[in-house]
Amino acid sequence: MDNQIQQLKVEALSRLGEIGLPAELEEFRIKYLGRKGLFPALMKQVAQAVPADRPRLGQLANGVKREVETAYGDRLDTLTLHGEAVSRSTEDLTLPGRSIPLGRLHPVTQIMDEVCGIFEGLGFAVAEGPDVESDFYNFEALNIPPHHPARDMHDTFYVSDSVLLRTHTSPMQIRAMEEKQPPLRMIAPGKVYRCDSDVTHTPMFHQVEGFLVDRGISFADLKGVLSIFIARMFDSRTSIRFRPSFFPFTEPSAEVDIGCVFCGGKGCRVCKQTGWLEILGSGMIDPEVFNKVGYDPEIYSGFAFGLGIERIAMMKYGIDDIRLYYENDLRFLSQF
Amino acid sequence: MKFTINWLYQYIDFDLSAQELADRLTMAGLEVDAVDELYPDLSGIVVARIVSVTSHPNADRLVVCRVDDGVGERQVVCGAPNARAGMITALATPGTMMPGGFKIKPSKIRGESSDGMLCSASELGIGGGKEGIMDLAEGLIVGQPLTEALELSDTLVEVDLTPNRPDCASVIGLAREVGGFTGGRMHPPVTEDDSDQGQGCSDFTVEVLDSTACPRYAARLIRGVTIGPSPWWLQRLLLAVGLRPINNVVDITNFVMLEYGQPLHAFDFGKLAGGTIRVRKAVPDEKLTTLDGVERELDSEMLLICDGAQPVAVAGVMGGGNSEVDSATVDILLESACFDPVSVRRTARQLKLSTDSSYRFERGVDPLGCGRALARATQLVLELAGGASVPGGVDLKGGLRDGSVISLRAERCSSLLGMPLTTGRIKELLESIEIFCVEEEAQPLLVTPPSFRVDLEREVDLIEEVARLIGYNDIPISLPTVPLNFSEKDPDRILRQRVARLMTAQGFNEAINYSFVSPRHFDQLGLADDDGLRQTVRLMNPLGEDQSVMRTMLLPGLLDNLKRNINHQTPDIRLFEIGKVFHPGDAPLPTEEIHLSAVHSGRKFPGSPVYHFGHETVDFYDIKAAITGLLDELRLADVAFVANGQVPVYGDSDLCLALVVDGKSVGFCGRMLPEVLRKFGIKTDVYVCEVNLTALEQASTRPKVFKQLAKFPSVRWDLAMLVPSDIPGESIINLIKEAGGDIFERCEIFDVYQGKNIDSGWKSIAVAITYRSSTQTLDDVTVGQVHQKVIDLIGARCGGKLREG
Repeated sequence: MDNQIQQLKVEALSRLGEIGLPAELEEFRIKYLGRKGLFPALMKQVAQAVPADRPRLGQLANGVKREVETAYGDRLDTLTLHGEAVSRSTEDLTLPGRSIPLGRLHPVTQIMDEVCGIFEGLGFAVAEGPDVESDFYNFEALNIPPHHPARDMHDTFYVSDSVLLRTHTSPMQIRAMEEKQPPLRMIAPGKVYRCDSDVTHTPMFHQVEGFLVDRGISFADLKGVLSIFIARMFDSRTSIRFRPSFFPFTEPSAEVDIGCVFCGGKGCRVCKQTGWLEILGSGMIDPEVFNKVGYDPEIYSGFAFGLGIERIAMMKYGIDDIRLYYENDLRFLSQF
Repeated sequence: MKFTINWLYQYIDFDLSAQELADRLTMAGLEVDAVDELYPDLSGIVVARIVSVTSHPNADRLVVCRVDDGVGERQVVCGAPNARAGMITALATPGTMMPGGFKIKPSKIRGESSDGMLCSASELGIGGGKEGIMDLAEGLIVGQPLTEALELSDTLVEVDLTPNRPDCASVIGLAREVGGFTGGRMHPPVTEDDSDQGQGCSDFTVEVLDSTACPRYAARLIRGVTIGPSPWWLQRLLLAVGLRPINNVVDITNFVMLEYGQPLHAFDFGKLAGGTIRVRKAVPDEKLTTLDGVERELDSEMLLICDGAQPVAVAGVMGGGNSEVDSATVDILLESACFDPVSVRRTARQLKLSTDSSYRFERGVDPLGCGRALARATQLVLELAGGASVPGGVDLKGGLRDGSVISLRAERCSSLLGMPLTTGRIKELLESIEIFCVEEEAQPLLVTPPSFRVDLEREVDLIEEVARLIGYNDIPISLPTVPLNFSEKDPDRILRQRVARLMTAQGFNEAINYSFVSPRHFDQLGLADDDGLRQTVRLMNPLGEDQSVMRTMLLPGLLDNLKRNINHQTPDIRLFEIGKVFHPGDAPLPTEEIHLSAVHSGRKFPGSPVYHFGHETVDFYDIKAAITGLLDELRLADVAFVANGQVPVYGDSDLCLALVVDGKSVGFCGRMLPEVLRKFGIKTDVYVCEVNLTALEQASTRPKVFKQLAKFPSVRWDLAMLVPSDIPGESIINLIKEAGGDIFERCEIFDVYQGKNIDSGWKSIAVAITYRSSTQTLDDVTVGQVHQKVIDLIGARCGGKLREG
């Protein structure tokens, strides 16, 4: 009997030493320590031994059983805590994860949201108007009468003599001012159309128009608001310059340039060696426009600005061919 | 507008490099597009004299020239027909890199050595046109570099003028602006009209029948001119700015136009019937062949210059061939007029003919400048073409209006610009560009805009000048103080943004396609002739038939994108677009709706290696899940997917569901018909959806209301039923819900089986049902009763029976 107890101990401990997987350990537990295992069977045998030997054998058997249980417990800890056998033997963690694909927003949408976000942060409302617009809102109300040379700046798609595809999102200025009284702060994002198509022009592109009208708004305010926008959109160290230009619906009118983001202002192909990139057009709203919507230009003043989204995306992401925007090639879309 | 630096120097002195000048002009609102050194490649070209010309022994068309290059004589083989002994011409010495990019080397041509090349003007990039090598003036110094001899070294500057500044479509106008920022004063060659200009002339008559369209018409007769080539200085300037020299008289009119901004025209007086000019509108069916040889059909809105018999020019646009100055011309009539901008613009548009002249008239020429330009042209004609100016000229100014006086308030100027400005400072700024005030001390300032500034009509126009002269970058920066206010959000935009984010979360990439499409798409989709989607808004002037109608649906664009991606070996595609579609209606503007469309093709899990998910491709349930996920997130209250509902003709009706929200069909999802896809050049399976988002905006939604979390445990009972195979899974689920009553929590179909051991016409459907009570822990008896009710109901409603074993 003594031998039998000792033999079971040796056998159990040596088997335990060989075990490397939790599953094997479980098999071990069932075989030796389980309800129908070898140790319970041993204890039953001890119980049937001659009474004189029973206390000694019982003590011995219990001692061995505790020893094996402790060893089992240690082994279990080792395998489950460190999981050594599991990882070392079968898994290659350098393999890619099991991902569910995520899509991306078009770069134009991303920039549009970013631009709108900055102005929304400044309290500008957002409104969108129709893409197919009347000549009145697109031109006449914006101080561009028929046969005005400024119409040359807008190669217009016409639907009929009086209906067209908007050439800018500026008509929203008129629509908004017709409806509401100052103070007004609003931006109008959207698609615009010009019949022009080459490496640098697509017949459809995206614009954000914005304007602010109240008493006492000045050109200095225009500069302040647009400077905040540029610092947020690019970098607070981006250099900015305002230069005179012409738009029929603003006076004074200003083009805004930023230091070329490609060459840092030293001059390169993109900035045509000037060190500057044109980023938006702006100006003080022309009194004629106020007259059209029934605002008194002696009381109110305001500024308006418009910027091209594709152009900004080009500057931010270095996209060099505008046609890529509308080909929807996934190799392009997945980059942003 | 192009000019050269040396040309500008004729009217103003300044101490700026070309680049500095360009920067200053740009910052003054005259944006410089390009600054280019002219003829940078001509080093190595020298003036040479041909000493002798002998025929080439081995070639009929070549000659052998002895050439004096100022240092010595050399032999050059030449193919030009005009080579002659004693001729002064241009020699490219060996080692010279020609403008075309080839290098001159000593060589043998048909056995005769040739040490250099005699050059034509076009080979050197100096205009050209005429055949043969350059025939230079006698007085040039042999051996001198050609650029020096011809004064070719110069810098070309190109300014992109805004439409409000026609005054700067002239070198003198630009010189005036330069004076504005350098403090210099411009000195034009002629500042006054000829003193006899308005006195009339007995040799010709002028009659203006429409003084609105022609406010001023000045003309002058010069007799006995000799038509010939212009002197080099004149040709050089015209060539530099891209104009072709024609003859002295025509070149002078072009030169003065560029110098003063006033378009001029020279008629051959001998060709003018009756020695008379009539300025009138065209009559019906009138025609004129213009100088470019095109016969123009005129309409009654077009202003014409006519002689005693017929039209001789389209006013302000182009002259007629019938009165053209040519080599035989002896007497010329010079015209310097002012035409109404709108009239000229309309005519130019109608004739699709834009000229240097129409460009200036459309924007407005200086009404007082006609006489000066005419005086300058007369001066040059007499100097360069000889002849004599007939005393007295005609100058009809009936249509001129008096210049207005604009009052300019310093405080208005200050508040609009956001900086304090005094009357004195404003006055000083304006005067630097010749804008003068009527009275010295008036408050507000009374300003008479100069006649050349046709753009200055209102106070605000002058304020812009003040801002420009201060320099925009020297105006301070401030921020407006505006009352705090909640800014309105555009509901369309919010919905669009939500939908876009939900679609990207489901793996779809956003596409943006043009709003105009090809009407051919409707045929590719197989739409019926009377399908409403074919009712489109058509463009009058599309770029091509491919982009000729406004889209009524988004799907075709995405299918084109899909094909493009497949062609570029990107076959795993999930694309969506959210955009407007356009439907014509009775209102002046079409109805615009926002739609969502998505296409899905290729592998189910393109982002993961195949050992994770295998090569499984997408199927109907993927697109259905995407739409379900989207609608669930939008919290729509009443959504149904309807089989055999309104599914478009291009959808595979067996694998499509119509989408019904609040009882209205708002779109569909499912599989595209392969035969339709083939018409788009697509060979793979494609699953799509189309949803009218505008319709969803009004749809009822489920409010967010908190529900207590369950306190008692749930139990799961499985159920396997045999049902006729045409019973949809959704009906079984609905029956389980109905019978389950209060304690039904949820159920999930986990197996659908047809085949072995199942009678044909039947299917086995296995469902895991979760029961839970909100008031107690469920016991087997309670659940068992309800579960039996479920079995009974399925049996009663659709003949289902419990599957044994």
